[in-house]
Amino acid sequence: MRHVTDVAGRELRSLFVSPVAYAVLSLFSVLAGVFFILNVAWFNDMLLRLQQFQAFDQLEMMNLNDHLITEFYGSMSVVLMFLIPAITMGLFASEKANGTEELLLTSPLTAWDIVLGKFIGGATFVAILTGIVGLFPGILFVYGDPEVGRTLSGLLGLLLTGWVYTAMGAFASSLTRSQIVAFLIALVLMLVMLLLPAMSDLGVAAGASWVGDFFRYLSANAHVERLLRGLVETSDLVYYAVVIGTFALLTKAAVESSRWR
Amino acid sequence: MIEARQLSKRYGDMLAVDGVDFSLERGEVVGFLGPNGAGKTTTMRMLTGFLPPSEGTASIAGFDIFNDPIEARRCVGYLPESPPLYPEMSVKSYLSYVAKIKDVSRGERRQAVERSLERCGLVDVRNRVIGTLSKGYRQRVGLAQAIVHEPPVLILDEPTAGLDPLQIQEIRELIAELAAPAKGETQQTVILSTHILAEVEAICRRVILIHQGCKVVDAPLSELTAEGQSLEELFVRETMGRSSAREERA
Repeated sequence: MRHVTDVAGRELRSLFVSPVAYAVLSLFSVLAGVFFILNVAWFNDMLLRLQQFQAFDQLEMMNLNDHLITEFYGSMSVVLMFLIPAITMGLFASEKANGTEELLLTSPLTAWDIVLGKFIGGATFVAILTGIVGLFPGILFVYGDPEVGRTLSGLLGLLLTGWVYTAMGAFASSLTRSQIVAFLIALVLMLVMLLLPAMSDLGVAAGASWVGDFFRYLSANAHVERLLRGLVETSDLVYYAVVIGTFALLTKAAVESSRWR
Repeated sequence: MIEARQLSKRYGDMLAVDGVDFSLERGEVVGFLGPNGAGKTTTMRMLTGFLPPSEGTASIAGFDIFNDPIEARRCVGYLPESPPLYPEMSVKSYLSYVAKIKDVSRGERRQAVERSLERCGLVDVRNRVIGTLSKGYRQRVGLAQAIVHEPPVLILDEPTAGLDPLQIQEIRELIAELAAPAKGETQQTVILSTHILAEVEAICRRVILIHQGCKVVDAPLSELTAEGQSLEELFVRETMGRSSAREERA
């Protein structure tokens, strides 16, 4: 495992010497700005309306964390869902297409060096993107008083969700030599993840409540919700570790199987 | 240095390599010949650890490719048919990355990169991005990548394919130099596959010819050409003769 950082470092450097990183970063910043402005405008609009109708109870309930930051994080998680597959699609697929897979697999590296190195490279870039998201609620602290803990734990939820997407994208990339196919597989995996709550309801409706419970646990929703409410619980962190670990294991199996085909 | 024992590779029903045995001593330069599809690349890939053999095994510098895969791979420099390059990296940062993953220690890395740049004539293009280099230079970067960690064993799959006569000459000189180095440098064992028979005559001292997955000739070059026959005659006789014999049987 001594070479994890070497592989991760090359991955990051390659992103930053090509236009990909800059295109993604600037696009992402613009989108984050647009969503933030829209969310602020919506929040402002709600306040004005509630005042107009003199709905003081509801006005009392309005706060920056629930009605602005959470909404904003939600929008950004959707943006990440489309951007992350674009970042991860090349992780393994481009090595196969370039022929550099032969260099990696004939070097004194273990499969874990390669898999973890690739994941950490992608995860670091996702952390930079999450950092950009974090700048915007920062502005709110200048003009208002959101809760620091909840703002940060929500951001942690976004980061962990991003890392789950990265692990899925890396796995998708390890299955194919075509980057477009890798992108599509990753997107499908993420959509299945989004549909898990609906599948859980279906399980409950069919009378198999354990199926419902299982799908609800697998879905990221419940875990993100607790983080958005400011609850950082070990069980939720374990959930993220288990999902990321599972996809890392699958990726390792895919990398090793390429030797046997 | 290299020991192959009954190496075989099966793809489904097709036997690509069928029980190939050979043993190479330190400092030998061996030409690996055979028609297209004979199993040269597959054999080389098995020796480098890229493909596992279906049957048989091999050892590199005394390390078995199954039992000590990491040690065995550390002892090999490998230039695949198409050089494994990252087009977006610069020559220098690419070589330094390869040195890292080939376990060249931090203190020796800079020197190792400088030496391989020098030996492959890449000093002038060290800061160029690989994607902008000509084919000849890319081939040299591929070779520099294979020798950067000074491995005792070099496996080169068609190192001169697609180069112009001048570049071919340079690469040949480099390979000859690697096998008979100046004092203080390690002597390397080289296996190279090629279609150019003149190349074998120029740099190899021993020839292994494989045909349809089987080894058909394994002898010193001097012995093969002693009776006045050319390598070309031998190649044609061994490969043509055998396939027609095989067809007759079928």
